[in-house]
Amino acid sequence: MEIPDVAASKEAEASIDLLAIVLDTNPSQQIVRQNPQNLTQILEAVIAFGNAHLMQKAQNKLAVLSCSHYTTEFLFPLPGRHVELRQIDGQYEAFSLVEKTVKQQLGSILMNAPRLSAPCESLLAGSMSMALCYISRLQRNVPAGVKMHSRILVLTGSNECASQYMTYMNVFFTAQKLGIVVDTCALDKTLSLLQQGCDITNGQFLKVNQLDGLLQYLLWVFLPSPQMRHKLVLPPTPKVDYRASCFCHRELIDIGYVCSVCLSVFCKYSPICTTCHTIFKTPGPLPVKPKKKKKTDKQI
Amino acid sequence: MADTKSGRFASSSAAISPLVQSPENLECKNFQEYLRTRQTPETLEKLYNYPPICLAVYRELPEIARQFVIRILFVDQPVPQAVVTSWGAQRVAKEQMEATSCLTALCVWRVTAIPGGLAAWELSPTFKKSVRQVLLGGGKPWAMTNTLDKDSKPRDITFLDSYAMSRWRCVLHYMVGTGGRNGGTDAEAISPDAVRILLHANLMKRDERDGITITRQGFQFLLLDTRAQVWHFMLQYLETCEERGISLPECLSMLFQLSFSTLGRDYSSEGMNSQMLTFLQHLREFGLVFQRKRKEGRFYPTRLALNVTNKDAAQASTTADEERMQERGYIVVETNYRVYAYTDSQLQVAVLGLFTELLYRFPNLVVGVLTRDSVRQALRGGITAEQIVSYLEQYAHPNMKLVESAIQSKSCLPPTVVDQIKLWELERNRFTYTEGVVYNQFLSQNDFVTLRDYAQSINMLVWQNERTRTMVVQKNGHDDVKRYWKKYSKSGG
Repeated sequence: MEIPDVAASKEAEASIDLLAIVLDTNPSQQIVRQNPQNLTQILEAVIAFGNAHLMQKAQNKLAVLSCSHYTTEFLFPLPGRHVELRQIDGQYEAFSLVEKTVKQQLGSILMNAPRLSAPCESLLAGSMSMALCYISRLQRNVPAGVKMHSRILVLTGSNECASQYMTYMNVFFTAQKLGIVVDTCALDKTLSLLQQGCDITNGQFLKVNQLDGLLQYLLWVFLPSPQMRHKLVLPPTPKVDYRASCFCHRELIDIGYVCSVCLSVFCKYSPICTTCHTIFKTPGPLPVKPKKKKKTDKQI
Repeated sequence: MADTKSGRFASSSAAISPLVQSPENLECKNFQEYLRTRQTPETLEKLYNYPPICLAVYRELPEIARQFVIRILFVDQPVPQAVVTSWGAQRVAKEQMEATSCLTALCVWRVTAIPGGLAAWELSPTFKKSVRQVLLGGGKPWAMTNTLDKDSKPRDITFLDSYAMSRWRCVLHYMVGTGGRNGGTDAEAISPDAVRILLHANLMKRDERDGITITRQGFQFLLLDTRAQVWHFMLQYLETCEERGISLPECLSMLFQLSFSTLGRDYSSEGMNSQMLTFLQHLREFGLVFQRKRKEGRFYPTRLALNVTNKDAAQASTTADEERMQERGYIVVETNYRVYAYTDSQLQVAVLGLFTELLYRFPNLVVGVLTRDSVRQALRGGITAEQIVSYLEQYAHPNMKLVESAIQSKSCLPPTVVDQIKLWELERNRFTYTEGVVYNQFLSQNDFVTLRDYAQSINMLVWQNERTRTMVVQKNGHDDVKRYWKKYSKSGG
């Protein structure tokens, strides 16, 4: 038992850990609307957390993405542009670079954002797929003989909506296939879809009840790399709500109809599958022959 | 009556024993070991006043220890020990113990009592302050980051790399003694200071007959990768720096500032005291920094100085550099033990010659073969199989590395060759040495059998021979066996 453990920890020391943080900066989040100061507080915590990740190992990498209701932008690193920066205080050069870049970039994004009249949902799933793309690009460029472990951390205060269900699922299963861990830190509401994603990819899901100790929560739960986590005692995963959302009305349902060809889920019976256009021959009214009905028990 | 004699007894089995290994092998310490062995708590505390040192120390900690430190970094009260213990999972308790003792040994945290009589851990305030500063900012900027006006002729990374490697090779060439033969110019010579460090480190020795020659530790040094060489060399340098009147904490801090600097960026030496400027000149000589002129207030750190303590980080970043990889990897090892080295450097051929039998030599290619004799000769010279394998791995040709990623193996060398080299080493270590006590001259076979069976029953018997009535008992079992024998003989057995 001893030797594989040592080898594993050596391997972990040598590998590159990439952390992509997806930060929800949508101004229509409940917590931001209540108190705009909260966003600053979250941002400070995220920057400190990102730097703490970089501090763990010299070869660790960090990416920060901002996700809002209309676009996803990289806050760090910025392609091409090399920020000329001299140390102004005792902070490590690389860390100040992260802090300055993220703040500057986010500032300009918020200034240029179009006015919104009604609260809009954040495009979280889209941002996550962007993070996945970024990760897989870096993965391709990793030199031979070096291993890279990647993970995504989503920080959001908005409510997820079932309309992005398909994208979410695609993201989760892609991440699972690529061996990327998805962690979620919910700042306001419990998010059942993201919870599913964390469960699928062996990530951690945490709902933070008060923003004051956010940094400490992040450092405790999300800083250890996934390989490291089994050595620490972390909060147990709560029961995951595995309901699917239907493809017709984007609502979470317990029981529904599933297309036998493409496995699309519908809350109401339709003779033609809207996804794969398969035509179902329905002889007679359904209640008469209930056994022929394409019905699954999706309830967990 | 049995006569007991104390003595050493050799039994045959395969393992390495500290008694036979000569102590003069090259000892490579990492930063953590260096701090543990060379520094007292007071000096450590002094070192922790420098944020760069703290960052380096933090990165050297075991992974669990790093998590513990960061968890209590922002906690102002001491944390009860029981709480800290509960953070780790039960089945890695041993690893956790190691992490805890490491933190204590490095004086990163210390035990305090909290109200209620519980023992608690508290981070060293100096360490805590410095790490917080590194992470979040505040405090004074590091010494070398004064603002500079733009360099009119900035140096790019390729230039710095080649400069650093050429400087470092000078030192290595000097060690092998090939610098002169290659028509070395003045620029290739190394300074008396560097020679003194090599002598101090036992990498070279002064010989009456032919001046300064390389020692066996020196050869082992050559087999290390560049990163480890630089680090070992710097450690030796630091040991001599007090003699020169340069303060150790300042030196270390400077070294780590360089190690955490950005490649390809210029830094200012303004405001450094004269000792630090001397140190900078030494670093310049070994190629850790590039400076155009001695008096110029601007210098560029090179790749040698970056991440000086961490081999893995270096690998991850250097190998990313395609050109550099091409330049470094030149060895192809085949399953038939043939070694092809695409090189014309005397140094590399000399190192390769340490453990291979060289067959042919062409203008840009050397062909050798790994044989039992050649490897055993290297092993006799104190080089370990591990060192040979890691040298071959480190300088493996890029195409070999492609194979590695293709077949998902751990090493890019053919497994047969790696195993065989290790077996050749094991061949030499067939003895285990155990301290023991000889019991002989038993008067009757019965006495002998009784005592032997007793020794066997408590698992202390090392060897026995019924015919000569001789048995050997482990040293720590001697008291027990003797007591038993006294009791046995008194009872008139």
